[in-house]
Amino acid sequence: MSVVYAFVAAGLFGCGVYMVLSRHIVRVILGLSLLTTAVNLVLFLAGRIRSAQPPLIREGSERLGESVDPVPQALILTAIVIGFALTVILAALALRAYRAHGTLRSDEINAAQTLGDPFAPGEADDR
Amino acid sequence: MGHRSAGWLLALLPAGLFAGFLRFTPAIEAGRTVTERFAWAPSLGVNVALRLDGFALLFCLLITGIGALVVIYAGAYFTEYSASERARFHALILFFMTAMLGAVLADDLIVLFLFWEATSVISFLLIGFDGASPSARRSALMSLRVTAGGGLALLAAILGLGVTLGSYSMTEVIARAPELARSPWAVPIVAGLLVGAFTKSAQFPFHFWLPNAMQAPTPASAYLHSATMVKLGIYLLARFETVIAGVPLGRDTLISVAMATMLVGAYQALRAENYKSVLAYSTVASLGILVMLVGLDGPMASVATVGFLLAHALYKATLFFCAGTVLHATGLSKLRLMGGLGRFLPVTALASLLASLSMAGLPPFLGFISKEFLFEAQIQSSWNAIPVAIAVLVNAVLVGVAGVVTLRPFFMGRDRVREVKHREVLGLLVGPMTLALLGLLISLQPDWISRAVLRPAVASIYGQPVDVTVALWHGVSPLILLSAAVVGVGALIFVYWRPIHRRLRTESPLDHYEAEHAYDALLRGIEAAARRTAGYVRRNDLRGQQWIIMASAGAFVLWGLLAAGVIPRARFGLSGVRFGPAVVSIVGLAGGVAAARARSLLAAMVATGLAGLVVALTFMMNGAPDLALTQFAVESLVVVLLTAALLTLPIAAPPTRAPRARRLDAMLATGLSVVIFVALIDVSAAPQRTEISAFFGARSYVEAFGRNVVNVILVDFRGFDTLGETTVIALSAVIAWSLLGPRMPREARFLADSRTGPFILVMATPLFYWLLLALSLVVLLRGHNEIGGGFVGGLTAALAFAIVALAHGVGIAREKLRLHPLMLAGGGLLIATASGVPGLVVYGDFLRHVWFEADVLGVHIKQGTTLLFDLGVYLAVLGTVLAFLFGLTREAER
Repeated sequence: MSVVYAFVAAGLFGCGVYMVLSRHIVRVILGLSLLTTAVNLVLFLAGRIRSAQPPLIREGSERLGESVDPVPQALILTAIVIGFALTVILAALALRAYRAHGTLRSDEINAAQTLGDPFAPGEADDR
Repeated sequence: MGHRSAGWLLALLPAGLFAGFLRFTPAIEAGRTVTERFAWAPSLGVNVALRLDGFALLFCLLITGIGALVVIYAGAYFTEYSASERARFHALILFFMTAMLGAVLADDLIVLFLFWEATSVISFLLIGFDGASPSARRSALMSLRVTAGGGLALLAAILGLGVTLGSYSMTEVIARAPELARSPWAVPIVAGLLVGAFTKSAQFPFHFWLPNAMQAPTPASAYLHSATMVKLGIYLLARFETVIAGVPLGRDTLISVAMATMLVGAYQALRAENYKSVLAYSTVASLGILVMLVGLDGPMASVATVGFLLAHALYKATLFFCAGTVLHATGLSKLRLMGGLGRFLPVTALASLLASLSMAGLPPFLGFISKEFLFEAQIQSSWNAIPVAIAVLVNAVLVGVAGVVTLRPFFMGRDRVREVKHREVLGLLVGPMTLALLGLLISLQPDWISRAVLRPAVASIYGQPVDVTVALWHGVSPLILLSAAVVGVGALIFVYWRPIHRRLRTESPLDHYEAEHAYDALLRGIEAAARRTAGYVRRNDLRGQQWIIMASAGAFVLWGLLAAGVIPRARFGLSGVRFGPAVVSIVGLAGGVAAARARSLLAAMVATGLAGLVVALTFMMNGAPDLALTQFAVESLVVVLLTAALLTLPIAAPPTRAPRARRLDAMLATGLSVVIFVALIDVSAAPQRTEISAFFGARSYVEAFGRNVVNVILVDFRGFDTLGETTVIALSAVIAWSLLGPRMPREARFLADSRTGPFILVMATPLFYWLLLALSLVVLLRGHNEIGGGFVGGLTAALAFAIVALAHGVGIAREKLRLHPLMLAGGGLLIATASGVPGLVVYGDFLRHVWFEADVLGVHIKQGTTLLFDLGVYLAVLGTVLAFLFGLTREAER
């Protein structure tokens, strides 16, 4: 079964990469969200799939019996929430960018470039 | 209290420390060492181990004694500075003193290194004290780069010592020097030590930072360049003498570098025009003498090191004080413009005269005795006559310098200066007069100091007691002849100063080889290389930039796989494949592909959500219900939030890439997929390391009283990590809130919220709202033992509000919340942080959870601060998601 999951994780990763390479910033954001999901799955698979038993210690027992590896789960759990927050922050930025520039194309949002080279000589230059 | 008394008051601290160190003299005199230690990072073998022996005591007395005088002097010197600038200076000087004391008292080499670097950083701030001046900034950066760069070499050497000998204790390392010498790492370790010490003590070719550092206010120069900062390198070399001598050419390197430094310092001192520069270059020459003395073998070399260290600290600090008073009084910096200042500054002139006589090595001053030691050490050592000849020449130049810096400004050329801005005041005189008189008193009454300070200092660097006889008259010997030669040549140099100076100031071919040029060229080179690199990897197009990042990430993974010699250990075979889950996953992949190909943003969003839901199902079916719940909640919230945002954006998204670019991107994406796939296949066939999981599995219930191992890891074992992640989440709420639209007035909000959703949704909303809220609390409360926890709970509660917002508009949702979402997020963070405090109080460990048990009304209750922590996470997540929700809707409705 791992082969199928590995195929799906790798495939989702590729889809995410393809979308991130777009010049449409909403597509980039969705791609990043997809990429996060795929990476979480990769992390999960790295912890191996060997049991469908959640990592809960049974009543009456003092230690964890046969179950899934709990460590990757603890990592992924926070990663999901952080990835979610990142996606929403990026969406907010996209919204602001659209309001300011009237476009969602990354190559048309170039206010910083028009300011010129920040390292251009002429300014006070400390060595 | 006026500003003027601040220096006197502050000087109580270093003076008190000076008195405190004096109390150790009986113990040190008896040959004991005083040690203190407490554990710092015991797992790394690093302890704060402090050790006071004779050599350290000599330094401590110099640092605190001269420190007190510098503080008094600075109080009177900065009359033209604002109160806050004086305060800054005094704070920096006292910090610097602390760092110096730490460095000379540390026995643990890691601790020594930290204080060593602290002196570099604080001296950077002192040299660049006048931050508005570009040259001060340049000099400060230069000294920081040179000394802190050398500090890195020292760190490498220290780590090498730790790895080779298994100890960071200086005492132990020095005792085991012969063992170290047999190690193949001995030469690189000694090289690192030397570079660290040479940069700090301004040895050739790193000497150039010291004259530039004269940009510092003069009280700082008096402190840094007489007794403290630059002597730290000498301190290190003297401590590690046996280690350095243990490697081939160790002593030869010391003596050769020292001779080069002496010659360069003397040559530049003759050329320098500024009062302070002359002193600076003479300091470079003196530091060269000290390094040479460390390099020489024999007991007299150690005696001479200690003697010259003391004599130089006393007279050089005095001369810097006098230079400061002159600059303060006249505003002039060039020596040739000064003259006849003895009329205006008589006591300063006297102090300068006394110090110069000591520097010139004339009897009966301490400088004379230390110079006798120097020649005796050279004659006794196994070296040939070259160091002797150079020492005579350089000392003669120092005699000339001593004459020039005192006689020219104070006594000659009476008509050059007619009036001064400031006269001398008591605060400007205490320092120079005390030190100048000490240089005389010690040589006249040497008994106590040589018994209590000098002899123990020599014993601690030589390794065994040496009989130190400080006496002015040794009879007619080769020594006195050498001294006479020095004074004779020095007098000639003084008399012919003008012609020599003019002659040397003309352009010299040597100028091209100055180390400072190399420094500048190096900086330019680094800058150009950085520019070139940026030119290669920086694109003005987001796609181009992403390409570089993605392609290099893929290349690195591929390289790692190939370098590890991985032949994918695939255990193929579709025997384990279950039909249902396989179909579900393939549907998820189809969702991903659809998202990538979608023309409409809405379709892309839905397809992305489909992929997310399938991954959640995959978690569900493979023993990760916690992850599944979290992912389900997140996917639902993403749909709600992004829809709100997308409402204002054009839904149609025409392709932004040319067909050819798309094909190229598809190829890169496919390539990366293949790399990931191969890596994953290999990983799943590799044997699994389960030590960590087994640890958590065995300890979760026994130590943390929780049955849900994932939750226990999050709130207890790795609680600090989780607190950090919760902080990130709460901060993202702040970012979103400030990014998204301005606040609407209350009235307008109600008008905007008049819309309602579909009838069925509106009818079902109260049910869903209360159900989800109750569910979220259940999930939170039982999270420690069953599926659930703060993260899932917070997301579920946010869903309850999202439904209200969908049905009745966001205004009603805000009414229901009553609190500001940022309040909620911040309050959650506060609660999560506070939950660590009981552990801090009870066990002394922050975030170690405290459990208590009680019988309330016959019911047995066992609860820990873990619940409080999870509640904090719950509130932070809820507040954050609501900040997103309210902010995005508000922005969309604008």
